[in-house]
Amino acid sequence: MIHQFSYMAPTELDDLLALLDTTKGGFKLLAGGTDLLVNIRNGLLKPDLVIDVKRIAGAGAITYDVEKGLQLGWATTINDIISSTEIAKHYPLLQACACDLASYQVRNRATVVGNIVNASPCSDMAPALLCLDASILVATATTRKTIPIQKFFTGVKQTVLQPREMVVGITIPSHTKDSKGVYRKLKRIQGHDLGIVGVAVAMVEGRLRIAVSSAAPTPVITDDLPLDVSAPDALYAVERIINPISDIRCTKEYRRFMVSEFTKRLIQEVRA
Amino acid sequence: MYENNDPKTLTYVGKSALRKDVGDKLTGKAMYVSDMKLPGMLYAQVKKSPHARARIVHIDTAKAEALPGVRAVLTGDDLSYRIGLYIVDKNILAKGEVRHYGEAVAAVAATSLEIARKAVDLIEVEYEVMQPVLNHMDAMKEDAVLVHPDLGSYEYLESSFTPVPNTNIANWTKLRKGDVEKGFKESAYIVEREYDNPSVQHVPMETHVAIVQWGPRDTVTIWTSAQSPFTVRNLFCHTFSLPLGKVRVIVPAVGGGFGGKAGIHLEPLVACLSRKAGGLPVKFQATREEEFSLLPCRSALTYRIKTGVSLEGKILAQKMEMFWDAGAYADYAVNVTRASGYSASGPYEIPNAWVDAYTVYTNKPYGTAYRGFGHVEFHWGVERHMDLIAKIIGIDPLEFRKKNALRPGSITLTGEKITAHTGNVIACMDAVAKSIKYGKLTAAEKRREAETGKKIGKGIALLQKAPAMPSNTATAAVIKMNSDASVTVNIGLTEIGQGSTTALAQIVAERLGFDLDKVYVKLEKDTESDPYDWQTVASKGLLMSGNACILACEDMLRKGYAVASHILKAGVEDLAHDGERIYVKHDEENSISWQKIAVGYAYPDGESIGGPLIGVGSYIAQGLSNLDKQTGQGKPALDWTFGAHGIICEVDPVTGEYAVRKIASAFDVGKVVNPSLLRGQIVGGMLQGLGTAVCEGYIYDEAGHLLNPSFTDNKIPTSRDLPMEIETIAVESSQIDGPYGARGVAEHPMISVAPALGNAIQSAVDADLLHMPIRAEDVWRAMHNHHPIDNWITKTPTGSCRSDPAARRHTPDAAISP
Repeated sequence: MIHQFSYMAPTELDDLLALLDTTKGGFKLLAGGTDLLVNIRNGLLKPDLVIDVKRIAGAGAITYDVEKGLQLGWATTINDIISSTEIAKHYPLLQACACDLASYQVRNRATVVGNIVNASPCSDMAPALLCLDASILVATATTRKTIPIQKFFTGVKQTVLQPREMVVGITIPSHTKDSKGVYRKLKRIQGHDLGIVGVAVAMVEGRLRIAVSSAAPTPVITDDLPLDVSAPDALYAVERIINPISDIRCTKEYRRFMVSEFTKRLIQEVRA
Repeated sequence: MYENNDPKTLTYVGKSALRKDVGDKLTGKAMYVSDMKLPGMLYAQVKKSPHARARIVHIDTAKAEALPGVRAVLTGDDLSYRIGLYIVDKNILAKGEVRHYGEAVAAVAATSLEIARKAVDLIEVEYEVMQPVLNHMDAMKEDAVLVHPDLGSYEYLESSFTPVPNTNIANWTKLRKGDVEKGFKESAYIVEREYDNPSVQHVPMETHVAIVQWGPRDTVTIWTSAQSPFTVRNLFCHTFSLPLGKVRVIVPAVGGGFGGKAGIHLEPLVACLSRKAGGLPVKFQATREEEFSLLPCRSALTYRIKTGVSLEGKILAQKMEMFWDAGAYADYAVNVTRASGYSASGPYEIPNAWVDAYTVYTNKPYGTAYRGFGHVEFHWGVERHMDLIAKIIGIDPLEFRKKNALRPGSITLTGEKITAHTGNVIACMDAVAKSIKYGKLTAAEKRREAETGKKIGKGIALLQKAPAMPSNTATAAVIKMNSDASVTVNIGLTEIGQGSTTALAQIVAERLGFDLDKVYVKLEKDTESDPYDWQTVASKGLLMSGNACILACEDMLRKGYAVASHILKAGVEDLAHDGERIYVKHDEENSISWQKIAVGYAYPDGESIGGPLIGVGSYIAQGLSNLDKQTGQGKPALDWTFGAHGIICEVDPVTGEYAVRKIASAFDVGKVVNPSLLRGQIVGGMLQGLGTAVCEGYIYDEAGHLLNPSFTDNKIPTSRDLPMEIETIAVESSQIDGPYGARGVAEHPMISVAPALGNAIQSAVDADLLHMPIRAEDVWRAMHNHHPIDNWITKTPTGSCRSDPAARRHTPDAAISP
């Protein structure tokens, strides 16, 4: 045992939210645990209580409706996304990003919600969710609200979420369904790796949008661009939203270059 | 040991056989030290230095000692033992000063891992941080901070090494052959370049782990995940002044070593904790992160090569300067320096050669043995250099290599004459060239280029390596016949994945004429019951233990024949045998089964003769000599294994991203003992080489903190990084003193993968790559002539810096017109 903590796994969402409201001391929510357990093991987090969110019926649900769009549960795993035929059909960009996230074994555990609440600049799911106008459903014991993904991230590993709030689902609206989209990630090895940069380009309702990860404190997205946008204009739009750093993975010059090169290529690909 | 056997007459040697250890390893039945738990066992944890160089002002262990469950706490002041393989320069726990990030400062043993961790957190260490010396080229400067001011007083192995007191030079290996100045004067071209490799980690699947029990009357039992039980015992007994018979080292299944588990590592510290805890067994297993900085890595290298070449493309002279980054302790790095020094040219004849190879202390985690023992690192320089020279003088790189390659009659750097039985490097080169269709693009490849916009390049690199070992390296085998006429083989060589257990069983079955299923090779090693073996390193296992096994087989047959001769009333010269029995050649009915004489024969009347049949074989390296310290001349090599890799690589000419499409690898193994094991060895080594070529390397900040001490940012390749097509080729020029003509090929597949890749990328997009690894960004920078990234000591987190441009000079070519 590296760090001793209490563990609870409510089976009703209301019980879980009530627990969040009343619990004292430090707690953490456990979904896939692919970040939480690693951080506990490394001594970076020492929660008194770990609350498992997976035991509630519907936690990992995926529902699709022509009118309402796609609804993801708070514990929907990345491999759930990959194996869904409806997502394959209507939201291919979501799958493109999911396929590039970590390894098969990690994808069995890792959740879409975990990927965004962790708010890493190199989130693989964020570019797709940004392009597809996802909304994040946030709940407390007494409130419910919806936050557009564009307003969700506030900084490196930071979101608008308050301590006793929990993400209880993600909605991807029907107006972005059947959008063509492509994702490309620069990695150090062919196997699982964090993105050095990631670029997604989507064609949504006749407009182009470009989302970028690992090139700014948060995943970022351009304003909508005309479908026939010129390469220099598209690159200008991307340049304005990114702010890459140099670190041990890459220099900022190369990050900047690769974002622009991926953007150019992906625009051609998505138009093809 | 080579008998000129017609391959058709061989039953097992030369044929694939299932690995003897595969079932137990795949089902989880095999026992590793990681799995072991002894009654009353304590768990150890280590307090590590967060600084690269600091004075230890004070250590307060009071709170840790007071914690319930803690049984032992140790600091450097409690221990008065210094250890070191070749230079005795390391304290078991830092004393007075820490010399690298991650160095052990204090240790705890407690009744649970959790308590041990808590206790380590409670130890308070006050440091006075000092300016470290990090770059090994900086450490060579006259005014450099000294990592070991007392170097001049340290004990060291004088026959092989030359430390320079009052400097950071732990060893200076020299080699002088012919007259280099004269050679340069006669040269039409002189090409000089500098090549770099960073430090990398072995990454064995099983991290370092040891359990030690310091029992009554100083009897010590050590269970350890180690390559070399007898060397652990020797060095342990030397450190603690104990008789060898009191210390027993047991090595069960080992989850990979790659050189990182050669020599001695955790055992002395764990032993001291056990002694302090009143003799309870203590276990310490390193975390993956501790593998990167508490335990040693592979040394970084800066290699300068200056080559003089004639108009016709013959190398006339070569000056080679190697700067090996030892890190804080000499460990194996001094011997890597020595072994690389005498092999520094690669497989080429250099008539006039000058080598200065330095091992340089710095305030970084220290270097140790790593598959290839320096040859991976310096072949990067040598084999990139050969391509760059060929380009400069306008000659085909393979033709240039062929003109200069070692062949029968050539004289090596140390004065050894190559014969037809030494091995054939040109045959290896030709084989891989053919496999990748070197020198041109096929129609399909041209089509692919047109379709993808990518550039396809092909590159080849050669290699050589001999075992780096003392001239008196020895081993032995004991073969015991069981009463069912099966045999059990005891050898001191450990099974670390190389497959010796299987290959040696094949050799024993072949020589005895027994069924392979009747040959058991004991997997667990125990210094109390197994015969001596120096170490499981250097790719010497197959040749030396193979020979010892053959000798032991012959001894057993001789003893069996002697007994049978009495029973059958025939001269031993009239006897022959098969897997079942010994019989009289001219009267085959007259025979006695092995079973009946296995543990002694009883006549029908009850009288008995013979006794248990045991064959013993001892083998020692022959004809080797220490090298002259001034000239490097002598005979260091038991056998040379030559090889070549050819790579087809596809490069994005805009971004520098690339993918290896095909790799062909050929080795002159003398004789293939087991084709499937050989392919496994080649593919594994090749991928390990590809990892260091593509992405691996330690990165430090300017204070000497390791910035990538885990898999998050110290990536290794996975199966998805395997090239799409892999061809493995065996060349067989018999080794006269090898078992059935075989020689070792354990380390070799890793060597020269990186330069083959570099040469392929150069041929695709003309990127002059001089530094390993080759990341997409490095190719992009090389293509666009941007400054290379200063990878290895960097400002963090924003922006990298060049640590000292003067220490990283690049001499422009001096191309002298004739």
